[in-house]
Amino acid sequence: MKTQKGLLAKQMLGAVGVAALLGFGALSAQAQTKTVTIGITLPLTGADAQSATLIKNGAQLAIDEANAKGAIKGYKIETIVLDSGTATAGQYDPAQAATNTKKLVSNKAVVANIGPQMSGEGKAMSPILSAGNLATITPSSTNPDITSPKFKDQFRPNGKAVYFRTVTTDAYQGPNMANYFADTLKVKSVYVLDDSGAYGVGIADTFQKQAEARGIKVLGRDQLNPKEADYTTILTKIKAANPDGLYYGGVAQAGVKLVKQAYDIVPKMIKGGGDGMVGPEYLKGAGFPAAEGWYATIASPHLLADPAAKAMIESFKKKYGTSPDDYAITSYDAAQVIIDSIKRVVATGKPVTRDAVRDAIQSAKVKTLQGEVSFDENGDIVSKVVSVFQIHKDPAHPEDDVEYQYKYVGVAPASS
Amino acid sequence: MDFQDILLQQIINGLSLGAMYSLLALGFTMVYGIIELINFAHFNVFMVGSFFGLWVLEATGLIGQRSTLEGLPLIGVLLLAFVCTMLLSGLLGIVIERAALRSVRQLRGTAPMILTIGISYILYNVILLTVGADTHNFANPIPVVKWQIGGAVLQLREVLLWSVSLVLMAGLHFFVRHTRIGKAMQATAQDQEAARMMGVEVDRVVILAFFIGSALAGAAGLIFGLYYNFTSYVIGYSAGLRAFTAAVLGGIGNIAGAMIGGLIIGLIESLGGQFIAVRWTDVIIFSILILVLVLRPTGLMGLSVPQKS
Repeated sequence: MKTQKGLLAKQMLGAVGVAALLGFGALSAQAQTKTVTIGITLPLTGADAQSATLIKNGAQLAIDEANAKGAIKGYKIETIVLDSGTATAGQYDPAQAATNTKKLVSNKAVVANIGPQMSGEGKAMSPILSAGNLATITPSSTNPDITSPKFKDQFRPNGKAVYFRTVTTDAYQGPNMANYFADTLKVKSVYVLDDSGAYGVGIADTFQKQAEARGIKVLGRDQLNPKEADYTTILTKIKAANPDGLYYGGVAQAGVKLVKQAYDIVPKMIKGGGDGMVGPEYLKGAGFPAAEGWYATIASPHLLADPAAKAMIESFKKKYGTSPDDYAITSYDAAQVIIDSIKRVVATGKPVTRDAVRDAIQSAKVKTLQGEVSFDENGDIVSKVVSVFQIHKDPAHPEDDVEYQYKYVGVAPASS
Repeated sequence: MDFQDILLQQIINGLSLGAMYSLLALGFTMVYGIIELINFAHFNVFMVGSFFGLWVLEATGLIGQRSTLEGLPLIGVLLLAFVCTMLLSGLLGIVIERAALRSVRQLRGTAPMILTIGISYILYNVILLTVGADTHNFANPIPVVKWQIGGAVLQLREVLLWSVSLVLMAGLHFFVRHTRIGKAMQATAQDQEAARMMGVEVDRVVILAFFIGSALAGAAGLIFGLYYNFTSYVIGYSAGLRAFTAAVLGGIGNIAGAMIGGLIIGLIESLGGQFIAVRWTDVIIFSILILVLVLRPTGLMGLSVPQKS
């Protein structure tokens, strides 16, 4: 963290320097374009750094393209990127996410934010965003509580929605996967694990509830400590209980180790997880053959295969040298929604304030790569598609290429 | 799996964990025995050691889990990896002692201990910033061989882990009991001043304690990598804390105590996880630690710890 703060301080000094230069420059060349600033807060340090970076690049790509095209007349979009991962946590750190959010809220130039990646961060950020009436769009955090009217007082005390999503929530992701376990995989009994994080516990709970409702016997439920190295104890216990399937709610820090050790102890069991199971971390850290066969979901339609996304994928690859994953695309969509909203505010001739931008996001109907995005009064996306993938080695492509090593197997059935 | 099989399997799991904790606990105990310093840098010497092991294995061309070896090449590679890793980790221990700890050794109170926490964080962040935060796939030259014992499974790598730990611990025991320098260590542990007067070079003994302790931590790091097939910059904390607990449980400063303490913690972890719940593991371990310390403040192997006069 020290070094990051150091880096930030340097960047800020740099920014002051540049501002000073610009100030002098303005004397001769009249400033023609104004700037608006969008924050990007993601856990760029720690176990989720790789997928967080894909998300960051997705948003940045959309913003760079908009700037190059001059999408918002008279305005240039700038970004402030803040890291919510810390060395102490080894992954996303809710406390750091809160600190970052305060920083953004106190910066009047910031009119909207993209992020966070994780629901654990989102829970810490949402009340602060609400107090500042600063809207954020998350491309990946799926815990339903944050936007639920039931927890309104806790997460948006000011009343208005500030936490928007370009993915649906675990209120659909967990249960739909339970339906997939029951209908398609014909699982009769299951063991459920979570990684003790806000997202992991939440999605495991919703999965378990629906599994029970569908008559799948839940043989046990336990919690992994993500900092622990050894999961052989719990896996031995699971082996002894002998369920048809194993469901893991959680993200990569515990997940990678679970995948590795599960291959050793329960290789034949049907194993699945949520969107926390998707990312290059699994392909690199756990690798093949351990990762082979795991199921995973994402809380959006499968966009990588969509012809509409082809141009974006090409420019992403060209610019960053890696394939995007689906959440890099939902992040691209999130940026597009914000850009469009700012554009509409500018078109009315009113000043571009965060209040105006929030209202514009709330009423957005934006054509994005995943189709038209609009939000309900809580900030949740109207579309509720959950897609299922299975990790399956494709030898024709690099082993850590999310686009090819996660094979799309269909849409998880919604509960009727 | 019936009850006996589960029990046997969890004992196998627990002994493997325990062997690793024992090796790590030895480092805490040796340094404490000689200069009464709780060396928290040890946590991350273990972590850095696992990376040393990874790099040595990768230097021999072994990457990921695909390339396994058998027979002589396997023994050769493992020997090379252990020797290099232990030497490098031992040197790291010496550097830590020479560069930072020697100058504060005479200080009373907690300053030296706080210093070791600082060193621990430096190591942690150096690895984080140089190799990155992602989980690294560890080379694994050991072929997958499994034996079925009833419903339980015993793996070749578990047997190897136990053997290596046993050899290292037996070696250490022999060294401390039966060599001249080992006896000098014992003398220093009992009374530094008297040992110095009898011609023992205390500085050398302290350096040696750091070298051996850190080398064992390096070996534990390599074993960790070979056993779990991954390493990352966060592994030091949880394993280190358990090993430290093992050292205290066994009676800190006592070599046999550290070994036994390690095995006990490993078994508590696996059996507690099986019969209670994995999420309660830490609560169980530390409750037992408190219980033992309340009833027997000097730890299980309750010899009185040498006191500085």
